[in-house]
Order: sequence, then C-alpha cells, then structure tokens
Amino acid sequence: MKYFVEVDGAERVVELTERLGKLTVTVDGTPVEVDYEDVDALGQVLVLSGGKSFGASIEGDANELVVTIAGHAYDVEIEDERERAANAAERASNKGGGLVKSVMPGVVVDLLVEVGQEVTAGQPLLILEAMKMQNEIDAPTAGVVREVHVTKGEAIRGGAKLVLIETPSEE
Amino acid sequence: MFKRILIANRGEIALRVIRTAREMGIECVTVFSEADREALHTRMGHYAVPLGGFLPNESYLVAEKILQAAKDTGAEAIHPGYGFLSENATFARAVMDAGLAWIGPPPRAIEVMGDKIESRRAMQEAGVPLVPGMTEPAEDAAAAERAAAEIGLPVALKAAAGGGGKGIRIVREASEIASAFRTASGEAQSAFGDGRLYVERYVDNPRHIEIQVMFDQHGNGIHLGERECSIQRRHQKLLEETPAVVLDEALRQEMGEVALRAGRAVDYEGAGTVEFLFSKGEFFFLEMNTRLQVEHPITEMVTGLDLVRDQLLVAAGEPLERTQADVKMVGHAIEVRINAEDVRAGFLPSTGTIKNLRLPGGPWVRVDSCMFRGLEVGLNYDPMLAKIIVWGPDRGVAIARMKRALEELNVGGVRTSATAAMAVLDEEVFLSGDYDTHFLEGLDRSKMIGPEGELVAALAAVHRHHAAKRRALGTDTGERAGWLARSRETTSDHRRRAARHGGANA
Repeated sequence: MKYFVEVDGAERVVELTERLGKLTVTVDGTPVEVDYEDVDALGQVLVLSGGKSFGASIEGDANELVVTIAGHAYDVEIEDERERAANAAERASNKGGGLVKSVMPGVVVDLLVEVGQEVTAGQPLLILEAMKMQNEIDAPTAGVVREVHVTKGEAIRGGAKLVLIETPSEE
Repeated sequence: MFKRILIANRGEIALRVIRTAREMGIECVTVFSEADREALHTRMGHYAVPLGGFLPNESYLVAEKILQAAKDTGAEAIHPGYGFLSENATFARAVMDAGLAWIGPPPRAIEVMGDKIESRRAMQEAGVPLVPGMTEPAEDAAAAERAAAEIGLPVALKAAAGGGGKGIRIVREASEIASAFRTASGEAQSAFGDGRLYVERYVDNPRHIEIQVMFDQHGNGIHLGERECSIQRRHQKLLEETPAVVLDEALRQEMGEVALRAGRAVDYEGAGTVEFLFSKGEFFFLEMNTRLQVEHPITEMVTGLDLVRDQLLVAAGEPLERTQADVKMVGHAIEVRINAEDVRAGFLPSTGTIKNLRLPGGPWVRVDSCMFRGLEVGLNYDPMLAKIIVWGPDRGVAIARMKRALEELNVGGVRTSATAAMAVLDEEVFLSGDYDTHFLEGLDRSKMIGPEGELVAALAAVHRHHAAKRRALGTDTGERAGWLARSRETTSDHRRRAARHGGANA
C-alpha cells in the first residue's frame, strides 16, 4: 500500500509491503526499518529503527496525526492512494475565493464590515478575542464582502468561516 | 499558624500552595468551577467547595461565592494564588472585613501598584527610576497622539489598570497610534473594565529583569535576587532564568535595594515582585506585581527557600525567619512554561484532551503541573498547563538539564510551547546570554521542526496500517475488549459533559 505522508509540510511517499506477516517499509524509495511496538493501546509506541530506540506517542485519526518523539511534535497528514485521488478531484472542483477563516478559536468581539461593503487589502474585518488578547483580522485582498458567517459576541472554533470576500474579476 | 486556609485559585498554582500548606500541617479548602470538577486541585485539597459555572466570572472571580465557601468551611485565611482575584484590592478588603487573614499585601498597596499612574507617582516620590512618559492616562487616541509627539517614538501604550501583557501595544509610526489605541483600549476595557491607556517611551533592546521581595508585618524586608524574564512574546513569558547573565553582584544589590525601597513606599507585606526594564546597565521601574509570580520557583531553586511558606508565616503575623545576610544564591535555575499553544501556527491557543502524558523526572528537575491524562484543555482559563524547573551548579549544566527534561516531556493531545523552548535552548544568542525581550519574537519558527521527519513518516504509515488491521480483524480479544471499553468510556464522558453543559445553559 502506498501512502502520501506530509510531515511538517514536507511530503514523503511511504510504501508498505506485507509478506508472510512481515512488514517492509520504504520512504521515497529508501528502505526504513520500523519495528513497531504498541505499548499501551492508548498511543504510546516504541519504535526500533536501525538499532536506535524511539519512545513515541501518536494522537489523531486516520488522516491527521501528531507524532511526538524526544520532545518534538510532528504534524502528520496522511492519505492513501484512493484518498489522494478523491481529494484531488474535490480540490479541482473547488474554485479559489477570498474566504477568510479563523486560524484560532475565540470570540468575535467586534464586527467591522457588512455584506456588500467594499474593502481594501489589510482593512480590519473583525476583532477576535482569544486568550484575552484582541486580534484584528484583516482582509487578505481588496474586494466586496459577499458573506459574513459570524455575529458579534459569537464564540467560534479554529478553522471557522468568517467572511467571504469576492475579488473583482480581471476583465 | 492557621489551621485551615482556602485557596481561591485553580491549576498548578493551587497545587503549589496545597503542597506547602500540607507540609506545614495546614488543611486546605479548594474551590472549583463546574469545568474543574475533575481537576487535580479539586482532588488534592482536604475540602473542596463547588462554585458552579464554567467561566471565570461565574466561579473564580465571584468574591461572594469564595467568601461564603471560606465561611462554610471555617477557613481562617485566603490565599489568592496569581491571576483571578489576587490583585483585587476590593476582594482583599472584603476578606479582611470578614475577619479572615489575607495572604497577600495590604489592599492599599495593591491599589497603588495596580494603577500604573498612581504607582509611577509613588515611585517617583520614593526615588525609584522611571521610564520617561505621561503621568496622566490618555482618554482617547488623539490624546495619545499628542503625548507620543512630546515623548518621542517609539512609544508603548499601556492599560492604566493593566497587567499580564493585556492591553499593551508598541507603536513605532505616528500613523499607527489610532489603530493601536483602539484595539489596546478595547482589550483593557474587556479585561479590566477600564479602557484608559497611558503612553511612555519604549526602550530599545530592553531586558525584563525582576526582583523578588518579601516583607513581614514588622517592617522587615529582604530581596531574594533577580529573575531574568526577557524570553517573552507579546509580553507573555516563556522561559525565565536566575541569575541574570548581565548582572554583577554590585548591580544585583543595587536593584535589590531599589526594589525594597519601592515596596516600603507602599508599606508592603508578603511576597512581591518589582519588575524592571533593564538596558545597558540602566534600569527603570516597570511595575510591581503584588502577589506570588508564576516564575517564583527559580528563586526557590537557587535560594533553597519556600516562598509560599514565607507568605503563610508572614500573613500569620510571624517575623521573617532570615535577614538579607542569610540569603545565599547558589547555582543556576531555569523555568519553562508549558502552555497549550501551537507554536508553529504563531503561538495560537491549542485546545484538546490530553491523551498521553509523560512528565520529566530525575535529578534537580521540578515539575509544577496540573495535567493528567483525560484533562480537557479549553479556552475558559489561562493556557498554562505546567512549569518545568531545573537547577544546575552553573548555567551550562542547567541548560543541558532543561533540554533533557523537555525531551522527556510528552504531552499528547494538545500542542505546547515546549517546541519553542527547545528551539530557544539551541540558539546561539540564548547560549551567549546576550538576548533581549525581542529575541523570541524574532526566532525563526521554521527551525522548530524535529529532525526525525523520515522516521515519523514511516511510523505514521505503519501506525495507520496496524490500526486498520486491528479494526478489520478484531481477533485479539484482549485488545478488542480494550477498544470497546475505551469507546464506551468516551461515550459516557461525552454524555456526562453534554448533560452538564445543558444544565449550565438551562
């Protein structure tokens, strides 16, 4: 089985082959020894590789994981071949727009724009309070506000849609 | 000495106070919000009183509920920890009016030091050096612009009632003042109910160095050396060390004397910290924190003292157990704050449930933590989960020890600031000791990536492979039972939480 594994933004192709119960692993074509021991079925694992020992912990679901080894947390995104094809098709059909999403959870303390309003790049759209710090969320591009997905006082999660800005067409 | 005290706080600081109190044979009453029902502090005291509510202003900030809890449990004194009501003079007064001892400074000292403008006046009179700035707060952006023109750029806008880095903005261009005033004033208004800001000169290449002081009720006061707190971002500290590399003994004693003068000017009692801005051998008074500080353990490590013990003794009316001549600082100590934040995403808050937890141990490593497996880290409270503190005979050993301790630490389920601390400990500028308060902001976050990317990619794929196989086959009965038990547990946790939230909303 072939997996596309992105670790901290760098993609690697990992191939697993199981023969007679023995798993062989290559990363970008190079064999990597992974002797995997599940310690507690809660995410603590031991990895022996090339004689070295790594106590790791793994959290997450099938597609997004965080692996911690020796104090470093690695962000991992993983797709198998089938998922990759499906995701690529979805991305192609999704037209790029000026959708501003929240990069953090917080509370909208002030909403500074409304639907139909023209904005310039860098203009503050709203003020988001997280951990008692107020942050101005600015327009990434100039354009017209087409959708506002939040209201003043609303608590939002990280990744929530905030404002859709339609950029003027280049005709 | 008190027989029973109430701790009006949560998290690691509540545990910190409980530990010393237990050692002194004092019983502890803890209070807890609905969100903290399972928290360690709820479990580690002798008595625990529910406050209800999920948010601070429904629980730990409600003075009446805390006073009632003290009354109901027969507590003789209240320790406020840091944050929450610790620097609230009205609360301190209410505690004393209720006939209880307040484990903190006199309310009047809190008031003076808690008000930037009043404290500047008091410090000026006491001959404590100050940064050039306005003595009256600016009511609006226009006033701030006028003041900045007089003082000269860059300037800092600071909340008149501020603290903890909230409501502070640094402005280098006159054109940015109006926008900075708006957000800073809004922050101050929401955090402290007072949107006034004052404007002062911003000192370039500054270091943040603070002096720990301790006064008793009989006019005695000592200082316990400095803490170098320049490794900070947006005025939130990440790593602190003592002694400061830039101080020699003469300067240390001079700053200590000035800090004592600052405390005496407001008739201080108990533990306090005088913060200075230090630049090229000069130092200016920033503010006095009228409470125990987060980073107090590094002072404890080099002095061998227990500051909470001294707080309790002093609050009970006992004289200080030592004079300045008895205070000896030995070796070097470093603290790293383990905050729930995503460093690479720009230090944004990180939420989640702590699923895996391995804490460091071994010689000269101290862990003050409120973490446990299953802890839900939300946005209701401060993101600090733990502090790792190490001691070494010299700075080099202490740095190596901290790196080792952070490598042992494993907090699975939320991202932590440990990533940034590890990067700091590898930086030449940090190792040389020649850093200032801008160092952390300028640190290259792309460097905060671990070296085992290839192995991790392979491990992730193998982990997924095994998990899929286990689900598909379900042959190993032991493991299968484990899976089922866990999923049941998760579901019931979920239901319980849902019920609780529903109850709060109803």
